[in-house]
Amino acid sequence: MTPTVSPLARMAEVAADPDAYVLAWKQSHPGRKVAGVLPMNFPEELLHAAGFLPVVIQENSEPDSEGRVILAEFYCGYTRNLADQAIKGKLAHYDAYFVADHCVQLLGAADVMRYAQPEIPIYFGQFIASMSESSTNGKVRGEMGRIVREVERSAGAPIDQDRLRNSIRLYNEDRSLLRKVFDARRDGRLHLPAKQIQDLVKSSMIMEKAEHVALLKELLAHGLGTQAATGTVKLHLSGHFCHAPKQELLDLIEECGAEVVDDDLYHGRRYVTTDVREDLDPIDALTEWYFDRNVNVPCPTRVQHDADWDTYLSNAVNASGADGVIVLMAKFCEPHMLLYPELRKMMDEREIPYLLIETEHEGLPMESIRTRVEALVERISRRPARVAG
Amino acid sequence: MTSTTTGSTVTRMAANRSGGKMIADYWDNIFTAPERGKKVVWYNGSALNPIFQAAGLEWCHGEAFSARLAALHLEGPAQLAGAEYGYINELCSYSRTHLGCAVLSQGGGPAPGSETGAVDALDQAELAGRLPHPDFFVNAYSGCSTGQQWDEMSYRVFGKNVPIFNVSIPFLWGNHADSGYMQGQEWEEATDYVVAQLGELIAFIEGQTGRPFDWDALSESMSYIKRASELRLEGMELCTNKPTPATYWDWIASIAHINFLPGNQDLVNYFGSVRDEIAARVANGVPALENERYRLYFDGIMNWNKLGWLAKRFAEYDAAVIAGRYTHSSFWQEPQIIDAENPLRGMAQHYLICPINHSLKTLNYLTLRDCERFDIDGMVFHSTRTCRAFTNPQTLLARSAREHLGLPAMFFEGDVADASFYKDEVLESRLVAMLENIDVRRAKAGRW
Repeated sequence: MTPTVSPLARMAEVAADPDAYVLAWKQSHPGRKVAGVLPMNFPEELLHAAGFLPVVIQENSEPDSEGRVILAEFYCGYTRNLADQAIKGKLAHYDAYFVADHCVQLLGAADVMRYAQPEIPIYFGQFIASMSESSTNGKVRGEMGRIVREVERSAGAPIDQDRLRNSIRLYNEDRSLLRKVFDARRDGRLHLPAKQIQDLVKSSMIMEKAEHVALLKELLAHGLGTQAATGTVKLHLSGHFCHAPKQELLDLIEECGAEVVDDDLYHGRRYVTTDVREDLDPIDALTEWYFDRNVNVPCPTRVQHDADWDTYLSNAVNASGADGVIVLMAKFCEPHMLLYPELRKMMDEREIPYLLIETEHEGLPMESIRTRVEALVERISRRPARVAG
Repeated sequence: MTSTTTGSTVTRMAANRSGGKMIADYWDNIFTAPERGKKVVWYNGSALNPIFQAAGLEWCHGEAFSARLAALHLEGPAQLAGAEYGYINELCSYSRTHLGCAVLSQGGGPAPGSETGAVDALDQAELAGRLPHPDFFVNAYSGCSTGQQWDEMSYRVFGKNVPIFNVSIPFLWGNHADSGYMQGQEWEEATDYVVAQLGELIAFIEGQTGRPFDWDALSESMSYIKRASELRLEGMELCTNKPTPATYWDWIASIAHINFLPGNQDLVNYFGSVRDEIAARVANGVPALENERYRLYFDGIMNWNKLGWLAKRFAEYDAAVIAGRYTHSSFWQEPQIIDAENPLRGMAQHYLICPINHSLKTLNYLTLRDCERFDIDGMVFHSTRTCRAFTNPQTLLARSAREHLGLPAMFFEGDVADASFYKDEVLESRLVAMLENIDVRRAKAGRW
């Protein structure tokens, strides 16, 4: 597929309409299969090596109707929207689904997907979330082997080890290129609107990886540092697992005079932070990747006694020189609700100004959020210069 | 009230009174553990208590403590302390009540004598003093992903200074064609994995107590629990009689006993008395409700704030709630899998069959099975606001029951331990509508 527009525009186009991309891909790749991946830890490289187009299924922008009935209203917006898409037949272009994360709400949506589309297999290869127990590594390694067998069964052919190594290399390259963008933003060498950063990551979750790498290379070759800073107050965006925050919300934050200089969003740095080691047996390396990810950017969906998201956030704020933090929490996300007080405690102790915004699939009270963000920006602007650290 | 209802009164079981004392004694025992030099384990999720009992520990089940506070309407101070600490009210109310207790016991909440905090200092002192500090944590949560994260937060609230051990229980998703309730490759593999972890847990406990684990004591405890479970199931089977001699609410009243009271002769005697009282009711024609007109199934975890209230509410409409997922598909409900001489495998399997650890296919099987067995007329779904695990597939279960058994259903919203989510008018109007639906169906079928 040859892009006829700029790389940024092309990635924004894919991010805005993942279904259109997937349908076009299927048309241009007859006989190939598309695997729907549920966030956040499934190793997409396995599917890529088996010939699938792996796609992390995104929240769509349509209002929920069925999904808010079939799942309780106190499920997160992403899971209700997944259920809505499944019941309305919007996921019919997927040939199989794969999930590794044990989240009651996510599995609730997966149950609806299986109910709505019984002909599409949905494989749950559970990665144990308790990372500190000695038995977990072996269990995850075993599960990785079972996933390989299921992927092979679904693809109808064994996964070639060389192809898997190539897939790992390709995915690492994509992550590495994206990290360059994130690092440049954090270091003040790049000023891109937050929604464009999101487009880069979100499109990576959808597109054929080689195509995405080519777009990133083109983008980086032409340089990114031409735009001016979008605001005077530097903010870190934190949280928001599984699905992307609404771009209107990101725009709103910037309209209030803030510039996002770093984040730990799933549709952000969290997705690209960790490479798979290329010097190990591929399955061992993917197993290690699962554990490494939670050290590099700790996630409250995992339980690891020596990996602290609050410490990570504190260090990230130091590194970027952010003046404050906006915590974006998908409403009803229980792991985030559980860990939030620990973040709050750290930010209070360090006197880092912060704001919690709960998000929903629809009906975000934008003007009320605007007032709160403006108040945060105003509060930061009036503070004397803070010494980082 | 529908024109046909009579406003039944409930005949409470005498066994509930003695059972209540057993629970109160159990908690008093917990509260005095430090004075007696006993080590205390805080745990959540699966019924690991026979292991703790055999290790000579005192065990405090976090959910149970939250449920008890809610049932006694004493949950407020702990929840306020949790809210002050930063827990949002949409978070599992079991966890934020329990974590609120942890915060209080760590000196959190307002300073003594403070007028500004949300939690009254007197409440703080009372609660903090009652729940002894843990010597270590054990988590073994089935089905609900929040459970493991909850204890990790307890671990952090205590400054990471209290040892913790996690037993991970795989979710029974049903990946393969041979997957089913207690069968298939996935079931066997999950069992093996949990058995191995229980072995590691016991080694961890030996490290904490400094004593070798008493396997004979575990066998003894499990033999009592197995017998108690058999008696409980015999009592439940008697409720297939019409009218039912006991209700779902009676089984709720004995959940603590089967779930975490010590496995001993007292436990067997208690469930023997429950079974015998129900049998006597059948023999003497004594119904649980004065005038049973509707037989209902209850899906959802218990609303502990409203236990007595709900029992009366349904009785007012002559509606006997007879069985439910929480009471009938949890709590050592498959005693035949327990081998008291070699109990770990059966225990692991019991932990795996927690009714929130199955995907829809198995839940559907269990629900339809019990609705047919108890000749149910309608289904009540407690849409439990902060318990996503139990609420998970409820609408699909309702659809299935309607399609396969022609059963009407109603939903009402409440919560396990937060009374603010319960709306009585909603329950009443929906219950009336469903009972009228049942009346119409009966009239059409000539069964009026």
